[in-house]
Amino acid sequence: MKGLRKYLTPFAPDQSGAVGVLYELGGIVVIVDAGGCAGNICGFDEPRWRTQKSAVFSAGLRDMDAILGRDDRLVSKLAHAAEKLEARFAAVVGTPVPAVIGTDYRALKRMAEKKTGLPVLAIDTNGMEWFDVGEEKAYLALFQTFARESLPVQPGKIGVLGCTPLSMSDLNAGTKLEAMLTAQGWDKVCCYGMGCGLEAIQAASSAEKNLVVSPSGLKAAEYLKKKFGTPYEAADPLAAELLGTLDVTGKTVLVTAQQVRGNALREELLHRGAKGVTVSTWFMKKKEWEQPGDVLLTEEDQYQELVEQGGFDVILGDSALFSMVKQWNGERLALPDFAVSGRLME
Amino acid sequence: MTNAISYPVRQLAELGWNRLPEELRSNTHLIYSSPATLAFNSPGAEGFGVKRAGLAIPGSVMLILSPGCCGRNTSSISRLPQYDGRFFYLTMDETDVVTGRHLKKIPQAVEEVCESLSVKPSVVMLCITCVDALLGTDMERVCRTAEKRVGLPVRPCYMYALTREGRKPPMVHVRQSLYSLLEPMKKRGTSVNLLGFFAPLRDDCELYDLLRQIGVKSIREISTCPTYEEYLRMAEANFNLVLHPESRLAAEDIQKRLRIPSIEPTRFYQIDRIHRQYQALGAALGVSFEDRQYLEKAQNAVEAFRSHHPNLTFAVGECMNGDPFELSVALVQYGFRVSEIYGTVTAENFIWVKKLSEISPETRVFANLEPTMLYYDCAQCEADVTIGRDAGYYHPDCPNLAWNSDVQPYGYAGLWGLFHALDVLLKGEG
Repeated sequence: MKGLRKYLTPFAPDQSGAVGVLYELGGIVVIVDAGGCAGNICGFDEPRWRTQKSAVFSAGLRDMDAILGRDDRLVSKLAHAAEKLEARFAAVVGTPVPAVIGTDYRALKRMAEKKTGLPVLAIDTNGMEWFDVGEEKAYLALFQTFARESLPVQPGKIGVLGCTPLSMSDLNAGTKLEAMLTAQGWDKVCCYGMGCGLEAIQAASSAEKNLVVSPSGLKAAEYLKKKFGTPYEAADPLAAELLGTLDVTGKTVLVTAQQVRGNALREELLHRGAKGVTVSTWFMKKKEWEQPGDVLLTEEDQYQELVEQGGFDVILGDSALFSMVKQWNGERLALPDFAVSGRLME
Repeated sequence: MTNAISYPVRQLAELGWNRLPEELRSNTHLIYSSPATLAFNSPGAEGFGVKRAGLAIPGSVMLILSPGCCGRNTSSISRLPQYDGRFFYLTMDETDVVTGRHLKKIPQAVEEVCESLSVKPSVVMLCITCVDALLGTDMERVCRTAEKRVGLPVRPCYMYALTREGRKPPMVHVRQSLYSLLEPMKKRGTSVNLLGFFAPLRDDCELYDLLRQIGVKSIREISTCPTYEEYLRMAEANFNLVLHPESRLAAEDIQKRLRIPSIEPTRFYQIDRIHRQYQALGAALGVSFEDRQYLEKAQNAVEAFRSHHPNLTFAVGECMNGDPFELSVALVQYGFRVSEIYGTVTAENFIWVKKLSEISPETRVFANLEPTMLYYDCAQCEADVTIGRDAGYYHPDCPNLAWNSDVQPYGYAGLWGLFHALDVLLKGEG
């Protein structure tokens, strides 16, 4: 039955993705909810919440706020907070409640900007899409708002798009990428949203190149290319090491991961002698990056059928997925996928 | 402004409940859910939120009908062995929200869930969220349709965060749902129910002994019913003791439907209050409780702790089993100092704010959910020990007693348990 889940809990939603991109940038982030969505984000989807403070708040909506559409109260609360907190911008992040009552985000943005004097991002997430959709919206809004000046290109500077705990399942992904890219000869590495702040976003036009490590960064990369001519490529330099010493010589493999990681794993598996590799994903599947036979997953029984009838020797993916195919006898390699199970890399 | 805002209790008492500063009125500001206070504002996030509570009936399963985001954090609960294979999800998309078509799918989804299980569940709880609150879904009707299809009880469980400060917040509603399955049965004068918590009282709680003293043979709590049949026997009780105010409406329902009256005692940490409450309870039941030995045990525990750890200063939070203001009054009465309280002032606990203003006027109150708590600086506070998970978060280097276990402290046992746990904590630190 479409939408029915018997094994998997729902994946990280779009509002979590949006907050994840904005988390380290020093803004006031308001989740337009009653409290439950903020609880989900802070208590589960944002692992940095436990160790790194950020001005992420719930709007604390109550039934009459929603029924009467009292956006002015939300703006007033935001303005009060802006008076008391040190913030360089504000963001309002949507949830199912504003989606149901049809909140006008453009109006909300204008009202909030006028009242607070801060730039305001309005991210129209609705809690019904997955995290990557929210990340994509947040990245785009950020660069459109803050990367306005065309600066001279700094040779040796690379920007990284799409690196968040949800996309990379690793709290150290930013540092690892920085070390890896520095070793490759890049002088300055800017992991937008994971390790560098708002200044780096403002100076994005000076990057020589952008690296897109997950599909959520693609639209922003396209925007930066169009606006400033910054070229980009898609790659996940961290993927290969996830395979350890896995021997796949002559074997057919099913990979389930976000698409850029999945493609990077495919490349490495074929390099190690795999006979064939199919990449499947629960999240965005960009046409420009897909290969024939790649699969967009939406339902549990679709995954079960793919594994049981696909003739694979090895499956790679979050261990939560394996609970759906207990009877299947092939080899499994667990790759934590935070957006699926909430498990991070060790 | 980069300081967390706080007020001395003296000032709050002077202002009065109706004129509290806006920082202490949560509907006037954005909500800061610190890692310590998540459970407070998010009805499903942590602890016994709606999701865990909804599965309190033995053998029950839950189908969560919501946009994906609402079911997300159930991942962490699902990993607990007692919830393995008990949560299911029917996720809604935008078309569902616009057309309400998901409602037609529910009976089939319930059927598919039941068919997928090797053991038939006792009840299927349908958990719905803010979206259906706004859509005005008649979930009772949907449940009846699903019941006909599967031949099992199907009950709604409202996880409406939007109504958290209303007359029927989610945790009140879920308690009503849980007891709605009880059907009239022959009363037994020797049976009593303890309503209010989703985990039992401490094993050493004197309430069990005191009830047995007056001839009670069966003391039932929903969390200790081993089977569905045993749960149904809660309907035979002579009276209910409502140990948490969020069970008040459920108790009223039970009184109307099953004619079981209820009495609502309060959890106190002030020893004289505990004693007086047992006397009052005895008077209401027409009996006399002999509580001297428990009273003395609690007094001895307080005295022993005070002699081992004199002149302590506490910081008290609200994420613990108790009311932070009442506990603070008790601590001050026992001879300790309370420098700070992290809590929510309510109409119910304002009486303790006033009391505290008489005996410890400079104790400062911080509103846990207020945005400036982001800047809380523990260096500004003098505290030797903290109580409550939130207080521990604000004072990472200070000895902390979380005191937030599922198993509930109550009465004298709660008091001696608290001081015993503090003693163990401080000796360990020493």
